Amino acid sequence: MQDTGTLGRAACAALALCLAGALPVAADEGKLEALRAQGFARVAIANEPPYTAVAADGKVSGAAPDVAREIFKRLGVADIVASISEYGAMIPGLMAGRFDVVTAGLFMKPERCAAVAYSEPILCDAEAMLVKKGNPKGFKSYADVAKDASATIGAPGGGTEEKLSLDAGVPRERVIVVPDGQSGLKMLQDGRIDAYSLPVLSINDLVKKANDPDLEVVAPVVGAPVYCDGAAFARGDEALRDAYDAELAKLKESGEFAKIIEPYGFSAAAAMSTTRDKLCAAM
Amino acid sequence: MEWDWAFVRQILPTLLAGVRITILATLLGTVVAAVVGLAIALARRSSNRLLARTVGFVAEFIRGTPLLVQLYFIFYVLPDAGILLPPLVAGVIGLGLHYGTYTAEVYRAGIDNVPRGQWEAAKACNLGTVQTWRHVILPQAIPPMIPALANYFIAMFKETPLLSAITVLELMNQAKSVANTYYRYVEPMTLVGVFFLAISLVSVMLLRWLERRYGRVEH
Repeated sequence: MQDTGTLGRAACAALALCLAGALPVAADEGKLEALRAQGFARVAIANEPPYTAVAADGKVSGAAPDVAREIFKRLGVADIVASISEYGAMIPGLMAGRFDVVTAGLFMKPERCAAVAYSEPILCDAEAMLVKKGNPKGFKSYADVAKDASATIGAPGGGTEEKLSLDAGVPRERVIVVPDGQSGLKMLQDGRIDAYSLPVLSINDLVKKANDPDLEVVAPVVGAPVYCDGAAFARGDEALRDAYDAELAKLKESGEFAKIIEPYGFSAAAAMSTTRDKLCAAM
Repeated sequence: MEWDWAFVRQILPTLLAGVRITILATLLGTVVAAVVGLAIALARRSSNRLLARTVGFVAEFIRGTPLLVQLYFIFYVLPDAGILLPPLVAGVIGLGLHYGTYTAEVYRAGIDNVPRGQWEAAKACNLGTVQTWRHVILPQAIPPMIPALANYFIAMFKETPLLSAITVLELMNQAKSVANTYYRYVEPMTLVGVFFLAISLVSVMLLRWLERRYGRVEH
């Protein structure tokens, strides 16, 4: 699928070259032009505050879309239009051309880096688990969940936490795929799952909203790495990604980057201390 | 778009595990729907007006609301009332109740179709209520119902992907999780379609046979 896409684009570019006989205009720059003309970029989000949030009136906020909105504005694209998607459906949706970019706290991992074109790091966070008050099963790591033969853990389908749990040896049938934060919270309160795992800031936000004294946060999960997300572009849109990176670097340098993400609880220093190449390298 | 047979072989066992759950949910849902439908049909015929009206209202209510909403209610809301059901059980109850309200109408039609004279003849022969139902009414009412009932059960089978919304790891959910892991939708979703089609076609053949066997009422 990817190969034919790239080939197709190369063919288009070659054709455009022959026809116009002008300066080489890469097809990818055409993408940014198209977005400018269109006036908006389609982004995928997940409604998982503080990464991404949709207010009751439908306004999209959250650290990831706010950064994207600012960068696209600087690139001459007036606005972003967000669609809510499950984490697992984001990369396939991006490949299928349903979105122009994923800005949803999709953490960089080697296999994802192979599938999409990431920008430089934007939001960094560690993993956390939400458990019942007093942590009755004594979870500190995903391996602890694996050891307890009766324990179940909830995680977003296709999310980082699901893979970390499976990698730690929790069998498939004990990793419950939870559609969204509210469902995960409810399933934990109802005792359907023993732990619900999300990044630290997401869990904290969820707990604050739930306002339930019977819950407790285990953070950070021992042995789970700190991840950073980036804006994820489809393979073939590298030129758009590079333009995005250039504006992102300027934003980081001017300190405006910190002004956007720090009110949400994210550390700008963490994102600036690492690079895409480091995060994408196999761990 | 490329079709990758090696990938198909790799994911087939996972999907087959999902097929097992799909079939299990359909079979259990069928049993629940058959029993619930009969109970509703009988209650609505009851001479107790209060019972008949109440059951009638509840059945209309269930039939008039979407199955997905009912599944969410059973799975996420009932625990607030202290009723905590495992996902598959919640799904089977949801499917069974929902389709029970449809099958109730099939039962009603079947029973109403038994000519009035049969009831009178049973009475004239001095048969009791139970005897009348067992030996006169049901043997004539059930055969014509069978194809219509089977039709609803095939429809129910095709609704089972809704159970993926309440974390039942049936075929659709397994396919989604495969797609989530490998970022490919082509093979898993095509295979889901193929599995459903294959099972539906077999069921339809069975249905045709049932129609030939029971579809005609012998007078």
